Amino acid sequence: MVKFSHVTRKYGNTVAVKDLNLKIAGNEFVVLIGPSGCGKTTTLKMVNRLINPTSGTIEVMGKNIQDLNPVTLRREIGYVIQQVGLFPNMTIAENIGVVPHLLGWDKNKSRKRAAALLTMVGMDPETYMDRYPTELSGGQQQRIGVLRALAADPPLILMDEPFGALDPITRETLQDEFKRLQTELHKTIIFVTHDIDEALKLADRIVIMRAGEVVQDATPEELLRHPADDFVAAFLGKDRLSNQELQVAQVMLENPVKAYPEMGMAEGLALMKRKKVDTVLITDHGGRFLGSVSVDEVNAKHRSFNTLGEIVDQDTPAIEKTAAAKDAFNRINEEKLPYLPVIDEKGLLVGIVTRNNMVNALASVVWGDHNGSS
Amino acid sequence: MEKIILLTLEHLGLSTIGVLFGIAVGLPLGIMITRRRKLAGLVVGTTEMLQTIPSLAMLALLMMWLGLGNSTLIIALFLYSLLPIVRNTYTGLVNVDTGLIEAGRGMGMTRLQVLRLVQLPLALPVILAGIRVALITAIGVATIGTLIGAGGLGELIWLGMKNIETSKGVNMLFSGAIPAALLAIACELGLERLEKALTPRGLRVSPESMKN
Ligand SMILES: Nc1ncnc2c1ncn2[C@@H]1O[C@H](COP(=O)(O)OP(=O)(O)O)[C@@H](O)[C@H]1O
Ligand SMILES: [Mg+2]
Repeated sequence: MVKFSHVTRKYGNTVAVKDLNLKIAGNEFVVLIGPSGCGKTTTLKMVNRLINPTSGTIEVMGKNIQDLNPVTLRREIGYVIQQVGLFPNMTIAENIGVVPHLLGWDKNKSRKRAAALLTMVGMDPETYMDRYPTELSGGQQQRIGVLRALAADPPLILMDEPFGALDPITRETLQDEFKRLQTELHKTIIFVTHDIDEALKLADRIVIMRAGEVVQDATPEELLRHPADDFVAAFLGKDRLSNQELQVAQVMLENPVKAYPEMGMAEGLALMKRKKVDTVLITDHGGRFLGSVSVDEVNAKHRSFNTLGEIVDQDTPAIEKTAAAKDAFNRINEEKLPYLPVIDEKGLLVGIVTRNNMVNALASVVWGDHNGSS
Repeated sequence: MEKIILLTLEHLGLSTIGVLFGIAVGLPLGIMITRRRKLAGLVVGTTEMLQTIPSLAMLALLMMWLGLGNSTLIIALFLYSLLPIVRNTYTGLVNVDTGLIEAGRGMGMTRLQVLRLVQLPLALPVILAGIRVALITAIGVATIGTLIGAGGLGELIWLGMKNIETSKGVNMLFSGAIPAALLAIACELGLERLEKALTPRGLRVSPESMKN
């Protein structure tokens, strides 16, 4: 469908794309990924001739695009950009109908097409056809951006970070929706992103670029199993490569409220008040975990005892930081614990897992962000 | 009274014709210099220079060259209206989000289609504001047109000033000055409304109406 042969694009001394050779088959979903400035956008825009290569040739559907009229070529290729690019002076139906209009469809046919496309993404045509882009949410606008590229049913679609500006939840929804659409529509898609999770989720094939060159060109599977070099491995991130389950260390909170055993009762109470917690964890001066003291204990016993060390509950359950996060969550649920202190292999207190941050960690796993502890 | 109405209409007519010429030349010129950015500075600079010439001096110079009469006034009004029209057309077009222009090009619009379907509709409010300024300026300048033998309300104002010691002169002055002022205000308000009416609906929607 698309074939790059020895394509180079320079800007003065900057080589944006360097001797690129790439073949994209029909119905393939290819994701171009790499750090900012590596030449993804340049590569994409050379396909619809918004940018012309300095040297080399590009074929689309068997024809050298240098021989084609750029305007005709562009009408046959869908194009979606990050900034959405909906025309604020046109209604939703008119926006979707831009390419059909340019191709000379009559207005009725074009409106019908817009209605059908809106229905396909669950937006009621009656409600939305005649609204203006500013009346829609960001996610809805980007849906329209995608539909607009589909309007004239082009076999090839170029997408430049189409979901990049959306919030994580909306992005996820649109990715799912788009993936579903793709299984029905069988388009050839070249999709630019710098989000590896997005790439792994959507791509049939991932092309990793660095400084204008392809570093690796592989299926998501292959990529995860055999990253070509350290750059690719770093790009993928070690969480994904190790393919291990999430560990407690990745989801715990790192600075639990703690105190030494000789802290006085009143001081302990003040500490809990100040930090707004019900419990303080007790360690010795070497940081070894000793147990916990709850606010109820302090209140009940402050007449008979002087220090926290005297009333510490030494049977407080704890979990090792290398344990699976799932185990921590199971124990919290099954033993109805409000929290679980986290210790390392030497018994030193390193963190805490609470009910609350369990929820946050789960949520961030859903969003593909494994920094559950933050 | 009838005379005042006729003179007011003549005044408006002369100003409008001057501005229409300004639009006929200024709009294409403003569009053209967005394509040739190097010329933009020169063109805007020249129209700015024209604008700084005091109106009395401008009329005197044109009169020496073209003689007395309405057409000389119209040419002066035309020259004065160039700056706001050229400048606003240029700024209006240049300030259209480049992302939108690229989206249009990427979908296969020709340059002319980008201009017609995207840039001009979005720049329209700014261009209209320029035309409004041009017309108000023209109404003002036209009041001295009588000095070079052109028509309009200027005649009453100047005659009135000459005979300002007499109550007839005072009356005459007012009968020219007040309609001129009212005409300017009416044009200002009228064009402001037109601007609002012609602003693409999608640009007028308030953010509060956004629905999820
Ligand atoms: N119009 C331009 N003029 C000069 N340099 C450019 C231009 N467009 C892109 N570049 C340079 O080309 C390189 C690749 O850019 P781009 O393809 O936009 O990268 P990406 O989309 O991967 O972030 C960058 O170094 C960028 O600075
Ligand atoms: Mg880019």
